[in-house]
Amino acid sequence: MDNLHPLESKVLLALTRQPDAPPTLDQLAESTGLEPSQLSMAVEWLLAKSLIAVQAETVAHIASLTPIGELFFEKYTPIERVLSAAREAGQTGKRLTIQDIQAKEALEPSDVSKAVGTLKKEGAILIVQGGCIESTGRNSATAEAMRSLLQELRSGQRELQSFSEPLRSVLQQHAVKRGNAREPFRIDERVTRSFVLTPAGQEVAEQLSRDGVAEEVSQLTPELLKEGAWRTKRFRKYTISLRAPRIAAGKRHPYREFLDLVKLKLVSMGFQEMRGTLVETEFWNMDALFMPQFHPARDIHDVYFVKNPTHARTIAEPYLTQVTQVHEKGTGAGSTGWGYAFDAERAKRLVLRSQGTAVSARTLAAGASVPGKYFSIARCFRYDQVDATHATDFFQVEGIVLGSDINFRTLLGLLNLFAREVAQAKEVKFLPAYFPFTEPSVEMHVRHPKLGWMELGGAGLFRPEVTTPLGVSVPVIAWGLGLDRMAMVALGIHDIRDLFSADLEFIRTMRGSF
Amino acid sequence: MPTISLQRDDLEALIAGQDEKPARIPLDQLEQWLMLVKGELKGHNSETGELRIELQDSNRPDLWCCEGIARQIRIKQRGSAISYPFFKKPKGVAGKLVVAQGMDQVRPYVAACTAVGYRVTASGLTQLIQTQEKLADIFGRKRRSVSIGLYRLAPIVFPVSYDLVKPDDVRFTPLGMETMMTLREILMVHPKGVEYGGIVGGHDRLPVLRDAKGQVLSFPPIINSREIGEVQVGDHELFVEVTGTDLSMVALTLNVFAANLADRGAVITPVEIHSPVKTDFGRRWSTPIDFGAPRTIPLKAIESALGEALGGKEVTSALKSYGYTVKSAGQKVAVQLPPYRNDLLHTVDVVEDVAISQGYARFAPVMPSQFTVGGLSRLEQMADRVRHLMVGLEFQEIISNIMGSHQDFCTRMRLDGTEWAKVVEVDNVMSLSYSCLRQWITPSLLQVETNSSRAFYPHRMFEVGEVAIPDASADVGSRTVTMLGAVIAHAGAHFSEIHSCLDLLLYYLDRPFTLEPVDHPSFLDGRAGKIVSNGRVIGLLGEVHPEVLEHWQIGVPAVALELEIDRLLEDV
Repeated sequence: MDNLHPLESKVLLALTRQPDAPPTLDQLAESTGLEPSQLSMAVEWLLAKSLIAVQAETVAHIASLTPIGELFFEKYTPIERVLSAAREAGQTGKRLTIQDIQAKEALEPSDVSKAVGTLKKEGAILIVQGGCIESTGRNSATAEAMRSLLQELRSGQRELQSFSEPLRSVLQQHAVKRGNAREPFRIDERVTRSFVLTPAGQEVAEQLSRDGVAEEVSQLTPELLKEGAWRTKRFRKYTISLRAPRIAAGKRHPYREFLDLVKLKLVSMGFQEMRGTLVETEFWNMDALFMPQFHPARDIHDVYFVKNPTHARTIAEPYLTQVTQVHEKGTGAGSTGWGYAFDAERAKRLVLRSQGTAVSARTLAAGASVPGKYFSIARCFRYDQVDATHATDFFQVEGIVLGSDINFRTLLGLLNLFAREVAQAKEVKFLPAYFPFTEPSVEMHVRHPKLGWMELGGAGLFRPEVTTPLGVSVPVIAWGLGLDRMAMVALGIHDIRDLFSADLEFIRTMRGSF
Repeated sequence: MPTISLQRDDLEALIAGQDEKPARIPLDQLEQWLMLVKGELKGHNSETGELRIELQDSNRPDLWCCEGIARQIRIKQRGSAISYPFFKKPKGVAGKLVVAQGMDQVRPYVAACTAVGYRVTASGLTQLIQTQEKLADIFGRKRRSVSIGLYRLAPIVFPVSYDLVKPDDVRFTPLGMETMMTLREILMVHPKGVEYGGIVGGHDRLPVLRDAKGQVLSFPPIINSREIGEVQVGDHELFVEVTGTDLSMVALTLNVFAANLADRGAVITPVEIHSPVKTDFGRRWSTPIDFGAPRTIPLKAIESALGEALGGKEVTSALKSYGYTVKSAGQKVAVQLPPYRNDLLHTVDVVEDVAISQGYARFAPVMPSQFTVGGLSRLEQMADRVRHLMVGLEFQEIISNIMGSHQDFCTRMRLDGTEWAKVVEVDNVMSLSYSCLRQWITPSLLQVETNSSRAFYPHRMFEVGEVAIPDASADVGSRTVTMLGAVIAHAGAHFSEIHSCLDLLLYYLDRPFTLEPVDHPSFLDGRAGKIVSNGRVIGLLGEVHPEVLEHWQIGVPAVALELEIDRLLEDV
């Protein structure tokens, strides 16, 4: 009885006052003075606790008007309208078909045909040659019955039983049924239950009337504290096993959380962040990376070109000259070059950055520290159809390492470090790979705890044709990590587009395990 | 880069070579060997024996075929290069190929040879055609710089001429057609003419290959003749030609074909090219031609790049077993690529081949030892502070795509025709939904609101992300700005709600500001403001205009805030 809600107490006490005549819900509402919703809540709780029981259950049928019924009351029923149209035609001598009535009265075809059927059956109209309708002058019992039903029910719902048999049958014929909602009446079942106390309820109720209900409170208030009145109160116990109401948190996006963690790890490994621009010149996006201007990946189908302006005004010197020379003849870098005529206009063409390496190239030219480690998490754009594995724009995690101690073996060492720190992988495989701007090039595969062997990233030593024209004389590692697949596993999603979801509920409920 | 399809039996036979019996190669062994060619096994059909292999290296077209993959593996196993006699002093030539005057203006170069004694099998023919297509398409840039023709040798009478003719003067029956057509008709009607016509279109005279009897071999780079230019299973005498715009690429492509056919048992006989103008090879030369030159590299350059003192002996054997010709002399090695390769631009290319030949596992990883300090850019630090404050203000973070549509960024926001509708647009649009870069964040957040009417309210969301703002004074025509966008949406969303958030945010960032009324079409008139700090506009906020909400089909009021984080870095 400790955890009785005040509403429950009221209902129990009301029941003890009427031991001989088990009250219905309506009667209880009267005797307790509770709102219907509160009352039915309390009754359901008490039933669940077996403190009260249903003594009897009666079913009544209640008739009421539908919105269609309201309309018929105002504008007459189809049957009345058909009949009056037929009579009018009789007076003027005009021929009247069903289609005429439909058009004139703007009625639904089904309503008209039903009305005509009824009237014909009652002998109020005749259907003569050519499908014309003629009034017989006789009245329609149905029309009259419906009119009186509409009037009766307009003032409020009534029990079906209270109508005379003929009216009742018309009402039932024109009540909303499954498959036909266009009816003026509806009949609802109403279950009336009466309640009695169970023996256990009796006991609790007796105790209640002894102890009184007044001192139980649900909420501690500042007043109760101030006056010290809480000492004489009893606090209702809660059913704490119920589910908590939902609230929304302010929180980071789980994918951003993942990227923040990557950022933190890179910084903790001694990497400095670098940033670039979304729009780049072909020069920094590709030429500076020694990708020849005829390279297949520079095709119109691989890169997005900017509409206006189409070209940058200038490319900074001495980089333009030095890169031109290295493409054409390999000048300065100990290379043969690509042996073609470099197009300086093409170099100025503006594109949407297609690889994070563009940021690295800019950093090298801007005077990177030696030794130095840099990273960027750069938004890049590829000319791909958007699908489950291709997003229109995506993050590339890339960077460079400069130092006199950099060589192929330290490159592998760095990748080992990434495997351990970023992917928590103990097993690593290095495979020969191809990137236009590195030589040697490596692809790193790691054994992921959930995914098995997967490609974690690619790396290599920048070709001297990349570093020399940018004024860098030490070896440079260029590396990139492909983390989207790892992120998707950590976030439990299977479609790369979900990383950029526009569904708030999805984002609110998504959580990462990393 | 190319993915090719080949038959496992064929590959095994080629790895074994002409004189050895092929052995079954387990797939995991094959995957190991594929490292030698930067190849990845993408698929295997055990019923048909088909293997699908992706080749990564765009500078090694010799590897984009079954023969090339097998050759690289075979060389590794035998430990030394395979010698092809036809690259040395040829004993004789099959005939002459005479290049016409004026060809240097159209499609200057040609190379050719004959291959006799290999009876073409069905799978061999599939491979020949695949190689022809991959080389012309990827290496030859869709036939622009290189295209290849294969013919039955028997009907051809030398000398062959590489002529220029008027488009209506020559007729022949092209592959895929039943009737004779002029070159002009081919360009207009034949599918290949339509597809590749642009390469030679615009010239008054077009190239044709004809033999001494005047029979047309082909109309390069468009289509072969149906009579002579359709190689069939069972043929055992072939004529191969390559035409193109780059002398060394043309020569290299023929070299690859010659080596491939020789590997299948054909005897290659060179063809002598007669050029009307002097080229890098002179006026007269035979193809195939070994045009590579030896290169002397200090041993130390290789060793220091690899970080391993391998010594001359190991370097020499590594390169020999990768197909190089190598002469070691003290602290230097003189190396030369096999004639089917032309990808040695720099010493580093040799360095990588040493590493690949020895296997990457040969090199023990070493941690870089030099000390560096890590850190975030000032902008990223500020962006992170803003993000953390917004989370504290109970906003959910959103990440959206930066690329989107003019419709979303401008039209739906009622911005068309105003200064706020300037965006970076893409020229080669793939789909209208992705045709420009966002110039502000609010549309991205309204997009979320549109999709989220079923998520319980209130909705409070923010994004800190990049936008591109067109700016004529910027180097690349636009500025990349890191922006905060925030939207609150629910039945009672109100200006003061977002105003309070801004107020608190800028209080914690110690950034005094004032609001000035702004007439911005995306917001209700009189309920929008510019955020002004230190005399500069750093953002705006307001109640989203009902028409904007209608455009987005949003059924609740919304207020929005937009703040340039870059500006927060400026001194007050």
